[in-house]
Amino acid sequence: MRLLVLLILCGFWGSLSAQKTYSTYPQLTARIKDLAGKNVSLASVTSAGKSAGGKDLWLLTLSQGNPSSKPALLLVAGLDGSHPAGSETLLLMAEKMLTNPSDQVKDLLSKKTLYIMACANPDAWDQGKSKFERSGNTTPSDEDRDGRINEDPFEDLNADGLITQLRVEDPSGTLIPSKTDPRILLKADPTKSEVGKYLLLSEGTDNDKDGNWNEDGEGGININKNFTFNYPYFEKESGVYAASESETKAVLEFLYRNLNIFGVIVFGPENNLSTATKFDAAKARNRIVTGPLEKDAAVGEYVSKMYNTSTGFKNAPAMPLGKGSLVQTAYFHAGRFGFGTPGWWPQLPPPDTSQKQKAPAAAATLSADEIFFKWADAEKVAVFADWKEIKHPDFPGKKVEVGGLLPYARWNPPVSYLDDIAQKHNKFLLDLAAAMPSLDIVNTKVEPLSAGVNRITVQVINKGFLPTFADLGNRVKYVSKVRTTLNHTATQTLLSGKKMNLQASMGAGEFVEYTWLVNGTGKISVTVTCPTAGTKTVEFTLN
Amino acid sequence: MNKLLFFFCLLGVTAFAQTQPNISPADLNGMRAVGSPADPKVKEEWRKYHDYAQISDFCQRMVKAHPDLVKLQSIGKSFQGREMWLMTITDYKTGIPDRKPGFYIDGNIHGNEIQGGEIAMYTAWYLAENFYTMPFIRELLRNRVFYIIPSINLDGRENFIHQPNTASSSRSGMMPLDDDDDGVIDEDKLDDLDGDGNIVSMRRKNPLGRWKVDPTYPTRMVPARTDEAGEYELLGSEGLDNDGDGQVNEDNWGVYDPNRDWAWNWQPNYVQGGALFYPGTLPETRNIKSFVLAHPNIAGAQSYHNNGGMFLRGPGAAEDDPFYSQGDIAVYDVIGKIGEKIVPGYKYFIIHKDLYTVYGGEIDWFALTRGVFTFSNELMTSFKLFNQPPNAQQNRFQNQDYEEFDKYLLMGDGYVQWKPFKHPQFGDIEIGGPKKNYLRNHPGFLLEEDAHRNMSFTLLHAYQMPQLEVFSIVKKPLANNLTEITATVYNSRIMPTHSAHDLKYKIERPDHISLKNATVVAGMIVENEDFNQTKEQKYTPQTINVPNIPGMGAVKVRWIVSGKVDKVTVEVDSRKGGLISKTE
Repeated sequence: MRLLVLLILCGFWGSLSAQKTYSTYPQLTARIKDLAGKNVSLASVTSAGKSAGGKDLWLLTLSQGNPSSKPALLLVAGLDGSHPAGSETLLLMAEKMLTNPSDQVKDLLSKKTLYIMACANPDAWDQGKSKFERSGNTTPSDEDRDGRINEDPFEDLNADGLITQLRVEDPSGTLIPSKTDPRILLKADPTKSEVGKYLLLSEGTDNDKDGNWNEDGEGGININKNFTFNYPYFEKESGVYAASESETKAVLEFLYRNLNIFGVIVFGPENNLSTATKFDAAKARNRIVTGPLEKDAAVGEYVSKMYNTSTGFKNAPAMPLGKGSLVQTAYFHAGRFGFGTPGWWPQLPPPDTSQKQKAPAAAATLSADEIFFKWADAEKVAVFADWKEIKHPDFPGKKVEVGGLLPYARWNPPVSYLDDIAQKHNKFLLDLAAAMPSLDIVNTKVEPLSAGVNRITVQVINKGFLPTFADLGNRVKYVSKVRTTLNHTATQTLLSGKKMNLQASMGAGEFVEYTWLVNGTGKISVTVTCPTAGTKTVEFTLN
Repeated sequence: MNKLLFFFCLLGVTAFAQTQPNISPADLNGMRAVGSPADPKVKEEWRKYHDYAQISDFCQRMVKAHPDLVKLQSIGKSFQGREMWLMTITDYKTGIPDRKPGFYIDGNIHGNEIQGGEIAMYTAWYLAENFYTMPFIRELLRNRVFYIIPSINLDGRENFIHQPNTASSSRSGMMPLDDDDDGVIDEDKLDDLDGDGNIVSMRRKNPLGRWKVDPTYPTRMVPARTDEAGEYELLGSEGLDNDGDGQVNEDNWGVYDPNRDWAWNWQPNYVQGGALFYPGTLPETRNIKSFVLAHPNIAGAQSYHNNGGMFLRGPGAAEDDPFYSQGDIAVYDVIGKIGEKIVPGYKYFIIHKDLYTVYGGEIDWFALTRGVFTFSNELMTSFKLFNQPPNAQQNRFQNQDYEEFDKYLLMGDGYVQWKPFKHPQFGDIEIGGPKKNYLRNHPGFLLEEDAHRNMSFTLLHAYQMPQLEVFSIVKKPLANNLTEITATVYNSRIMPTHSAHDLKYKIERPDHISLKNATVVAGMIVENEDFNQTKEQKYTPQTINVPNIPGMGAVKVRWIVSGKVDKVTVEVDSRKGGLISKTE
């Protein structure tokens, strides 16, 4: 059935979506360029910068007309290179949107702009993807800070082309196989009289004899640990300092320089869309804000509800926002809304109703790993290599086995699974865009006081379901406020009222009233503009 | 010349204590003043402020006059495209320059704080000009390398010097920003109404105003007493409402703070005013960071600011206090306390405690991201006016030190006298007040003295960077045709090769102590020689990794080698402590 659906879909999208494996970087580049080339009226592609390894960070802009004059969302994927599923999902979303675009899509792109950076860490994308799970770019990094770079990499000991794990039987081991699924190794619990049996290491040898296995191999910097909020100093893969990487700088430069970006959605191993971050007064109160402001937390709840409804996804595992991540930096530092989702996660197979069995375990009682293996078994997806004994030079006389979870398997399903995921996220995206702020000028009045003197009164209103920008944006210099300007001519003088008025963020349905006294006749207009909420002008004639 | 050089090199061997001609024989007309070069090759005026063209010219003349001591490079361009000149000063005939303990000096991160640039240049000049005559300087340049960037905000400096400014404006760099969020960038700058190059104050006669003229020093405005009518209202800095929005001077060049652009505890603009988009938004910051990362030998740093007379150490924010351990503070204390004596009126302070909180400052980046012992001197203090602390009982409207100093020592050169002006928005006003080169930057005759004193503080700081030597190599025959070799490596200065902070977070790699030309069977660190307590290193035993060589302290390492040993070489390779070796 799934194959049939896939084949039908392939007919629609031609060669683009026909692939059944993850794209290589050249393929990804070709898909992006092809998409822009076939949709010149709606899409364009530029390079937002270069990776450490010199690869372009492709920025796909979906918009009808001038992109920078419309409120926008920035969608980013692949910051953490170990999550290619995010990149594939995001690119599929763009492809689906532009293939026979629906009226809803056309309407969206006439009013809003989507900036899409599907592969924000292309170095990780192309390097050793098939061998080991790589998060970082090609910046040389001395992960164990011993002055030697990449001196203790992984080794493919069983020559299966993959880097998996080592399981060592050792009296000092603290792990035992789970009773429910022996593929899962758990910490032995002495309070339950459990005795540890295994050490778990990555596949390789201790090349520098420092007692750590594979602690300094090729790998570089994980871009999603290199952003500025709560930056993890001196931690693995985080870089020598915050925003040290060219990829990080390119993303931030683009975010800050494009004042029309209302929010950022990141596809990666973080999730505040399935469950929104709760308001915590203590965190919001400090000089350094570390939790969402009350109004923004309410927006987070609203968007989360929309996400769950639009996608229909359930049982999302908890994936807290990480240190130095873009989702948090976009909000806490740039003052834009920040959302994150892995896009795909394993779903429990539906209960088998053909056989009378005892009721299957409810998702709530299963661990995330248990759900993952149940999903893999039901879908017959290869995610695990059975343990096979090898001889290991670091453990003479000990039983050492190679096997375990396959690289990338945990968060990256076969690419065919992402089709449906992309479809559902597009639905969410359309719903979110429809809820975005929209400025209007209503209840306009022109009252003549005497010949040539008029009082103009207008109400500026946000007709969207989301605020004009995040409440935290009120504090950020690089977030433009709601600006209402009276455009008068040289012969018209202002007797009262300010020519230009700045207003803090306006929530859904909120309005503000302005009034001016003008001496002079002829045409005059009022413009309200906010890069994240749009522009509206009304014209009057004064007698 | 070569002969002369050879002559002094010979002298240098016995150096220091020996009495030797401290006059360059050919130099003298009259008598050399002690401590200063008699007839410097680079003639330079130290009672003025150099602009970009003059800085460039000075650097080039330094290289030409002292090719064996000074090399010049640009570490990149400023935002507006000026070359960020860096002079590397060392004795190029001794050792590998970039392997000597390095000392980094910059100035002028704030565009208006220009004397830092002069002091940085004075330091370069002083080191090179005295190399042949002062044994202390000669030793210093043999063992250390100085990286000197006179100005790290050339755009702001050039704007401060050549465009109308107040003493406090042009602190920013020149990257355009929309400060008033009206959609137009840098459209309402300061305006030099009378075209004299200074931005002074505007006042307007107004019986409802709350200000009056100081009767003793009429350039100055003082507030009327609480129960007294005033004569004037103050209208801010010289300027116009250029964009007709009802505000004056609200969107100047920039405005941001280059010293809030650094990647340690960086915070956004709403927490830390002046911050840009992310640490390193500015090309100037990025150029410096790249240079410093490429020079892990930098062990000490100084960044000159103005003003207030302070030797500042980090941290910039109270929550970073735990990163300064007692051991590191002890190093700062020694230098800071001597500093208080050699630069009278200057105080040894902690940024967040004694000044104000700074997030994302340069000092923290050097000290906490790179583990470099860093000071920032706030140059110029009102103490210098009459060599006494200002009267603590007086507020700034009662204290007349600056006016008095202007009258008796500057002959009235410090202020623009009030004069009438017809202002398009304010009508009949008067403009006057302190000139841009008064108050914060040194008057000429104090500049050279303070340059010398602050340089001396920084040379003390540089002198105390780690100085390593192989103190002893002891060989002892063992049974089974083995020999035990124990090497002691001594650091004769107060700075360790790794600050405690560096050690804790493993910022810099360990120091490597290697045994050459011997067949090593095993290697170990000697933790207690008397009781033979050692810690073996299994991997690469010929090169022992020592986490740190403490200040005024030593480490011992030991090798077991096979066979009888005649001469061995012990090499110490420390990123911040240099590369040295001894054969014995």
